[in-house]
Amino acid sequence: MYVFKQRLSKFLCYSFFVILAVICVVPVYMLLINSTRATPDINRGISLIPSDYLLTNWQSLNARGINFVRGLFNSSVLAFSTTALSVYFSLMTAYAIKVYNFKFKKQFFVFVVLMTMVPGQLYIIGFFRYVAVLNLLNSYIPLIVPSVAAAGTVFFAKQYFDAALMPELIQSARIDGASEFQIFNKIALPLAAPGAFTMGIFAFVGSWNSFLTPFMLLTDQNLYTLPLMMSQLNSDPFITDFGMVYTGMAFTLIPIIVVYALFSKRIVNGISLGSVKG
Amino acid sequence: MTRAAKKKKSGINKDYMGYVFILPFVIVFIAFVLYPIAYTFWLSLTDTQLMSGVSGRFVGLDNFQALYNTPAFRTSITNTWLLWVLGFTPQIGFALVLAYMFTNSTLKLRGTGIFKALYYLPNLLMPATVAALFATYLTRFGPVNQAIIAIGLVDDSIAFLDTPLWARLTVTFIGWWMWFGQTTIIMVAGMTTISPALYESAMLDGASQPKMFWRITLPLIKPILLFVLVTALIGGLQSFDIPFLLTNGRGDPQGSIMTMNIFMYLRRSSVMGDIGSAASVSVVLFFMSSIVALVLFGLFREKDKD
Repeated sequence: MYVFKQRLSKFLCYSFFVILAVICVVPVYMLLINSTRATPDINRGISLIPSDYLLTNWQSLNARGINFVRGLFNSSVLAFSTTALSVYFSLMTAYAIKVYNFKFKKQFFVFVVLMTMVPGQLYIIGFFRYVAVLNLLNSYIPLIVPSVAAAGTVFFAKQYFDAALMPELIQSARIDGASEFQIFNKIALPLAAPGAFTMGIFAFVGSWNSFLTPFMLLTDQNLYTLPLMMSQLNSDPFITDFGMVYTGMAFTLIPIIVVYALFSKRIVNGISLGSVKG
Repeated sequence: MTRAAKKKKSGINKDYMGYVFILPFVIVFIAFVLYPIAYTFWLSLTDTQLMSGVSGRFVGLDNFQALYNTPAFRTSITNTWLLWVLGFTPQIGFALVLAYMFTNSTLKLRGTGIFKALYYLPNLLMPATVAALFATYLTRFGPVNQAIIAIGLVDDSIAFLDTPLWARLTVTFIGWWMWFGQTTIIMVAGMTTISPALYESAMLDGASQPKMFWRITLPLIKPILLFVLVTALIGGLQSFDIPFLLTNGRGDPQGSIMTMNIFMYLRRSSVMGDIGSAASVSVVLFFMSSIVALVLFGLFREKDKD
């Protein structure tokens, strides 16, 4: 009887898990499938098997004058540069808090933690106006440079250093005559590499998906990122070629899906790490 | 040996380097975060417009008074909270139940890693695309309507994005869909720190699973619950992308999904570009999030004392 009960509850648990997994995956799967189907077929009904209209859909997308390849390039430029800056400088800031004993260090760290709770949207108006006054609208500078001061990433980096960096290591490097910057670049950075990688993925996804800030700052369509192109495509009420729309959507998602397929374990662990210790 | 004594012994004190290392962060932070925050506060006290070309005059709290007298603004506050509560409740509910199952030592479930990974997937997808995706799925003749008619659930297609109730439910659903996996992962991380011995002794005393959940699990993950609550709230009050892109960019049908940030955006993109007024919306949002976060911290801390 006990074994039966155990088996039954296991079965019920797994059924529940599978249903939820289906809910999570099917909308994305159907999107990918529909991107390969012709619009009349899509209008006729649902299918879970791919068709062979991907290229046709892709051509009609390009014929509409929304240059998704350009968007991919722009999004990549922004994502890679913000990721590099935020990871490097966040590690540097966290390293300072971890290694040096300077005045107001505690207050500084508390302040950083508090700032992780202030999302960028809150001061977007001041930011926008300020960028306009500096004559930097339609430039990537205001989208890239602020990532040097990413409070959330600093917090994560500090947690990582707390676990991975031994003070003795730094002391012995100093005795060997290494300069402070050398110690950071040659010893601390390699040590932090696994953590840096996780931080980097989150920074990358954040930049890749970000909408409001580029939406407010960029009006030149040549500078548009993929989310802006997506909203452009989506806001056209006269579009009836759904095959084309699905292809556009698939195009914006595939890079992230690939990244996730490769590193899902690290990403999932990264979320746990960022929360429990905090 | 204290840290200072250690330093003295080795004879190397490089602590001033701390300032050098935090310098890039501090400079960029002041220039691109602190200043814009202060500037937003200042703008909220002026009548600055994008189109007038002159910098605005100081008008005191006029913008806030005007907001107070704008019914659409009050609606946006109600919408923001309503959508957040509707979305967050199932999100935390599912997360707690799933995490409890995942970490339960009597069930000994395997393969939970795969489920966690699948549940988290929607969170990584571009919100602009997610909004467009659901907008496309939920059109009058779209796949969802095709499916529910085919299986006989309804006789006629549902105008999901033209009815306020359905539009709100859609935003709620998307919020749940995108976030319950992330919350589950955090809850699992919290629950795995609980010692299995606690459950074992409770089980010997004959406690049931639900009782153990309420008496052991929940009290012990309170700090993480607070973390999730505060971050979800601060993020949720900022809600913009999904409701903005799901319909016409004005939070329609009938302003039913117009959040505070959409209202803010509409102010900024109004004919004259009322950024003074838009800034005042942000300031209200700022105070609202801070006060609620402080209240939550206070509530949880007080309960910890007993």
